[in-house]
Amino acid sequence: MSETSPLRPGSPSRNTVARAAQAGFSLVWLVPILALVVTLGLAWNAFSGRGELITVEFSDATGITPGVTALRFREVTVGKVEGVAFTEDLRNVLVSIRVQPDVAPYIDDKAEFWIVRPVVSAQGISRLDTVLSGVFIEGFWDATTEQKQTHFVGQDQPTLARMAGEGTWFVLSSPGAKGLAEGAPITFRGLEVGRMQNLRLSESDETVLADVFIEAPHDQRLTSATVFWDTSGFSVSLGAQGLSLNVASLSQLVQGGVAFSTMAAGGAPVESGHLFRLQPDEETARASLFGSAEDDIRLSILVDNDLSGLTTDSDVVYEGLTVGRVTDLGVDIDESRPDGEEVRQRITFVIAPSRLGLEPGATQDEALSFLQDRVAKGLRARVSSSGFLGISKVVALVEQPLAPPDRIDTDTKPYPTIPSIPPEVSDLSASAEGLFTRLGSLNLEGLLQSATNMMDAVTQVAASPDTQAIPSSLRATLDETQAAVADLKAMTQELRDANAAANLARALDEAAQAAEAVRLAAADVPEMVVQMDEAAQAIEEFGFAEISAEAEGILSDLRAMLGSKDAEELPRNLSDTLQAASGLLNDLRDGNAAGSLNQTLDSTRVAADEIAKAAESLPELAERFQRLATRAEVVIAAYGGDGAFNQQARSMMNELSRAASAFGSLARTIERNPRAFILGR
Amino acid sequence: MSEIPDLADATGDPAAAEPGAHGGPVLTAHRAGLIGCRSCGRVWPPETRECARCGEGLVPPDRRGLQAVWAWLFAGMIFYIPANVMPMMNTSSLGGLGGGGDSTIIGGILQLVHHGEIFIPLVIFVASVMVPIGKFIAIIWLALVAGKPATHEEAHSRLKIYEVVEFIGRWSMIDVFVVAILSALVQLGFLVSIKPGPAAASFALSVAFTMLAAQSFDPRLIWRGLPLRRRKDVNE
Repeated sequence: MSETSPLRPGSPSRNTVARAAQAGFSLVWLVPILALVVTLGLAWNAFSGRGELITVEFSDATGITPGVTALRFREVTVGKVEGVAFTEDLRNVLVSIRVQPDVAPYIDDKAEFWIVRPVVSAQGISRLDTVLSGVFIEGFWDATTEQKQTHFVGQDQPTLARMAGEGTWFVLSSPGAKGLAEGAPITFRGLEVGRMQNLRLSESDETVLADVFIEAPHDQRLTSATVFWDTSGFSVSLGAQGLSLNVASLSQLVQGGVAFSTMAAGGAPVESGHLFRLQPDEETARASLFGSAEDDIRLSILVDNDLSGLTTDSDVVYEGLTVGRVTDLGVDIDESRPDGEEVRQRITFVIAPSRLGLEPGATQDEALSFLQDRVAKGLRARVSSSGFLGISKVVALVEQPLAPPDRIDTDTKPYPTIPSIPPEVSDLSASAEGLFTRLGSLNLEGLLQSATNMMDAVTQVAASPDTQAIPSSLRATLDETQAAVADLKAMTQELRDANAAANLARALDEAAQAAEAVRLAAADVPEMVVQMDEAAQAIEEFGFAEISAEAEGILSDLRAMLGSKDAEELPRNLSDTLQAASGLLNDLRDGNAAGSLNQTLDSTRVAADEIAKAAESLPELAERFQRLATRAEVVIAAYGGDGAFNQQARSMMNELSRAASAFGSLARTIERNPRAFILGR
Repeated sequence: MSEIPDLADATGDPAAAEPGAHGGPVLTAHRAGLIGCRSCGRVWPPETRECARCGEGLVPPDRRGLQAVWAWLFAGMIFYIPANVMPMMNTSSLGGLGGGGDSTIIGGILQLVHHGEIFIPLVIFVASVMVPIGKFIAIIWLALVAGKPATHEEAHSRLKIYEVVEFIGRWSMIDVFVVAILSALVQLGFLVSIKPGPAAASFALSVAFTMLAAQSFDPRLIWRGLPLRRRKDVNE
């Protein structure tokens, strides 16, 4: 303690600076440095994690609070609204959103934003949680980082893209919005596999379009042969099966819905954005299974006739096959046509080229050129009746090979016009009507009465015994006739063979003698001339007319005699006699009168002999006839000319000659075979 | 040794050092050639390295020790920035659906003021903003003026400020305590839950470093700048 002088400052005060320099840097300074580093790290971390600012344009900012309202992606908060402002024209609000940096790169030009609010709809109540928590902004974007974008236009309602993610978008085309609704379900065999949205009017035609989202893997079920039909509402149909009520489901009853099915195999795979046509019901869908709707071609026809019965959705048939559908009916006014015919009906229809037999995938131009080719060969369109009663009508494409050449007018708007022909008169209805008319006008009752009467008469005739006897009588008569003819022929032959030549020679001799006599007498011609004169005079005095009349009378008598019934009956009587004789002979033969038989034979022989004798006189008779005939011929020849008398005489002569010949032949026959004469054979 | 003034309180008892008390210049241990223990106030010869009474290391009062003050102070100030920028508390009600969210100190105060509250935001403002910033300013000033020449009055006011800083330091954690207690108590799951934010830790660190800075300050330096009137008088 001695060296410590009181009241003196200690040495440390002297060498403070030196010690401080020696100490240098105190370790305690590491603390603020560390604090600085940590704080700066935090600051940097906060700054770098601040995210990117994007702006989304909404029509209104209902419920959006800056600093509170979150941006969510798949229900995960990925950002926060920082501010709300207006666009320059004050029409919309701009919502600034600070997005977390890890998701910010994915927010590209395909991102979509919408405000999630509680929704009460036919499908149910959704997002009720936003009632408590307040609305939030939901975004959807894919996993690709493409074109960077920081300004977006928000959507009024959620897109369907957020559903399930995987799937395919298609486009549905319908004549009307029936069955279509925002968010309406798409069902496949009753199972919901997708939804529709973005209903809009088509810019190119008269249809309503809707975007349809089909979830994977159901989107693989769609091909070009897929058809969609409306399942909304309910339908009541009265058919052969009775009354049918068809309701799909309650939600579809309220808000609509669409079902689809792939009814035909072999459809081509479809790309995203493929256009499908909505059919009014399942039956129509099945009936009108067209090919690719995009390839369908639209045509028009102009007709004058009545179109009642033709409606949109009526079929277009070609060769009995439904190839298309009527889409529109309208009126076309053509001022260039004559008065009273300016107004025509325009029928617009759509044709599926695949149904015409073209290759799948044929373009519209190919189909049109095909039709053009067919039209050049006579294809025409016409409105014709269909159905059992012919009430409904269709547009028929018919081949008319004889039609004058024509072509599809591709210049007409909006669609090419195919030439048409008036409806066929002999349509089914017309023909049926005509048939009924003709049937009605037929005198069926009179016809039936007449037929009945005729049948009765026929029955009566057929049933009478006389009719039944006809065949046998006829046959007998024929047989007799034949026999008589044969006999007559034989007689004639025999007559001719007997002495014709001799008679001829003798006649010639006589003629020669006569000629000699004439020649001799010629010497005494002058005398003779005188005598002849006298004779002529005598002849003249003779009464020529009387002779003629007498001759004529003779001839008449002869003819009458020959044509008399007695003469005709002569053969029959003869035959009867012969038959009687035959019967007698039979009786005799059967009678066992042997003794008397010989006598009978003898007597018969005697009789035969007598007959033979009588027959021998026949040639004389014939000769006499001959002479008579010759003489008559001479007489007639003397008359000459072709007078009636001559002809009659000549015919008489011929008859006489034939008679003579017949007698001759008869005589010879009897001569030759008397038994035959007796027995009639 | 009769001239040796009262050395009982080397750490600086203003009452003891009151010039008016005994009229003469304040005699410090340093001036007396001794070294005082900062812990128990016992004075030892300058060569002594350890206080035999309380075991504390004996360090001569030196502006060199202000390095630690500055270091701790800077650390506290650095951490005070995130404590205010970052959210202090994360409240969520109904599973986050009922609102809530992050709130900073100032944001929370403003939110309460918006709701018409006056007292609570005032308390929070005083405890979380005014006091720490006041402490920073006080410590900076003390560190700057320590060891510089000062009158007795100045020395006494410095000492008072130092004591206030020391006293208030232990209460500066009130914000952190509130957050800790709320986080522990309000854990009702889905209904309401409160979690401490990153600012709570920063604030706690800031307060802790500030307290360490105040602790590092050697109040003996306050008295080193006193005029050596006695020596003058002697020299004269």
